[in-house]
Amino acid sequence: MRTLYPLILISTLALTDSVNAEWAKRGDLKFQFQAFTDTALHTATQSSNLSVSGNAEFNREIGENGNLTISPFFRVDQHDDSRSHVDLREFIYRHSGDTWEVNVGLGKVFWGVAESNNIVDIINQKDAIEGNSPEHKLGQPMINLLLLKDWGEISLFVLPGFRERTFASKDGRPRGFSAIDTDNARYESDNEQNHIDVAGRISGVINEWDLGFHVFNGTAREPLISFIDATPFYYQLTQVGIDVQATLESWLLKTEAVHKSGSRINDHMQLVSGVEYSFYGVAESDIDIGVVTEWLYDDLTDQANTVFQNDLLVALRFALNDEQSSEALVGVITDLDGGGDLFSAEASRRIGDKFKLQIEALIWANADNDPFLGQFQQEDYIQLELGYFF
Amino acid sequence: MKAALLTSATVALTLSITTPSYAQTAEERGLEIFEQVSAQNDGFQDSTASMTMTLINRSGKKSVRRMRAKTLEVANDGDKSMTIFDEPADVKGTATLTYSHTKEADEQWLYLPALKRVKRISSKNKTGAFMGSEFAFEDIGSQEVEKYTYKYLSEEQLDGIAVHKIEAYPTYKYSGYTRLISYIDQERLVSLKTEFYDRKDVLLKTLTLSDYVHHDDKNWRPARMEMINAQTKKSTILEFSDYKFATGMTDKDFSSNSLKKLR
Repeated sequence: MRTLYPLILISTLALTDSVNAEWAKRGDLKFQFQAFTDTALHTATQSSNLSVSGNAEFNREIGENGNLTISPFFRVDQHDDSRSHVDLREFIYRHSGDTWEVNVGLGKVFWGVAESNNIVDIINQKDAIEGNSPEHKLGQPMINLLLLKDWGEISLFVLPGFRERTFASKDGRPRGFSAIDTDNARYESDNEQNHIDVAGRISGVINEWDLGFHVFNGTAREPLISFIDATPFYYQLTQVGIDVQATLESWLLKTEAVHKSGSRINDHMQLVSGVEYSFYGVAESDIDIGVVTEWLYDDLTDQANTVFQNDLLVALRFALNDEQSSEALVGVITDLDGGGDLFSAEASRRIGDKFKLQIEALIWANADNDPFLGQFQQEDYIQLELGYFF
Repeated sequence: MKAALLTSATVALTLSITTPSYAQTAEERGLEIFEQVSAQNDGFQDSTASMTMTLINRSGKKSVRRMRAKTLEVANDGDKSMTIFDEPADVKGTATLTYSHTKEADEQWLYLPALKRVKRISSKNKTGAFMGSEFAFEDIGSQEVEKYTYKYLSEEQLDGIAVHKIEAYPTYKYSGYTRLISYIDQERLVSLKTEFYDRKDVLLKTLTLSDYVHHDDKNWRPARMEMINAQTKKSTILEFSDYKFATGMTDKDFSSNSLKKLR
């Protein structure tokens, strides 16, 4: 993390001339309150937590074909020193040709179509301490060549430099019984964080089908966690996968599938597949209701390095389409092998023109028999977040 | 018949211009005028504009949205268009890309800047409120002649302007309207007013288009559109500014990758 400070200093200096309208800006400042409804079964005993986070994106043209994006992020947390952190989500220069594009720097990339878990989305490390949303990603050092075709695009990546996943410290919540020992991460590659990863993706659209195919070779983003001392182990991974979405009027059919192999893991396949159906303008109102269901599967079953080895998501999405853009999503992920349920609810509503209130709740239930989920049974929380946007 | 008219008095000749053919049905005449309206609209190649949308609720309270729109003309099919949101701030940078089609369903993508995600979305939802306004998606989408059938009603005067009153029936089965009555300026061939009738055939909304500007001596564009909901008494004013035409944009400016490069 410390290596980031010079970059943040540079970006701060670069932004001092941001007053000259050359920079396009957007961002937010969010105040977060979390209430934990149960007493923890570990050392972090707080029943509530306060924190503040900020996110900004500055963008400017450089010459005729160049463009620079700088996105700093910070959070200051009341209890968890690991959660008080800074990052550069992006510090990336883009040069655009007519049929190609080169991106160099710290970048952020999204791959995938699913709602519950984007297993194909492997370029960036998750800033997992921030929460489960796919927007929380650490800036990834990259050299990216994008070839633009009539039918879609080919995107090639060289990824020098690895970012370790963030986890709650012993003072943070929610977490399992033992805090992950991030100070003693181990690697399969002798080059550790300096291993150079490569990846490529071909994607395109054929009528109602959006298709993607990718390959990745390098350090796995998701570590194996030692049962003995809770240290993360980052193994070398070869992954191939597809993501497919069919958009058929009110139906969206979505599938992500990956095959993972490496010398330190058993070859296996993961799948997230499901449908989303939307009812538009329910009962002559402006309200839309979407029903989402997805099956999450891992053929390693018992040894799977995921909680989603055979799980089903069922969720309802509400969009009021009112002046305040009020929205809600409620759902449950059920372990079909009887390992427990995870209930979640989130809702948001704009207040005035500059503010937005978000409410989120997570409840783990019926997980007594599951060694992983069971650890979170006492970690249920409700979160309130007030964001100021600019 | 025509030959007889041509040899007759000037009065009859004038009559033949406003009523071109006796054999033409009301349906054909309605279609013909909308084709002329569409032709008047065509040939701009591409355009960009800034939009300010003011939502006014029943008690008169206002809230404002700002957007930018880009459109690319596509020969023999619907246009490609992009809408980029600037205000309110929480949706800043969000953008939509639409390929409208005359025959098949439109294709539509949504860009979410916080996730850097381009998401394909269903284009079926035509009746939904655009940004909580009184404009439905089908009101602001690309208006293709083929998306309606027509019936000529009458010639009328609207605020001292001679207009064609024409009824249009959406061919799209999920439209929120049974019919639309449009008032077309006979001279400039632009729409001045449209009345929207809901699925129960009750007047739902009235759209008034005004402050038309003639761009490059070719295309008329309204600088102001006001939609009043007759049932809820809410209204939305949509104002356009900074119109630019033939800026040289191509298909590449309307790709899903281009959504990520907007600023």
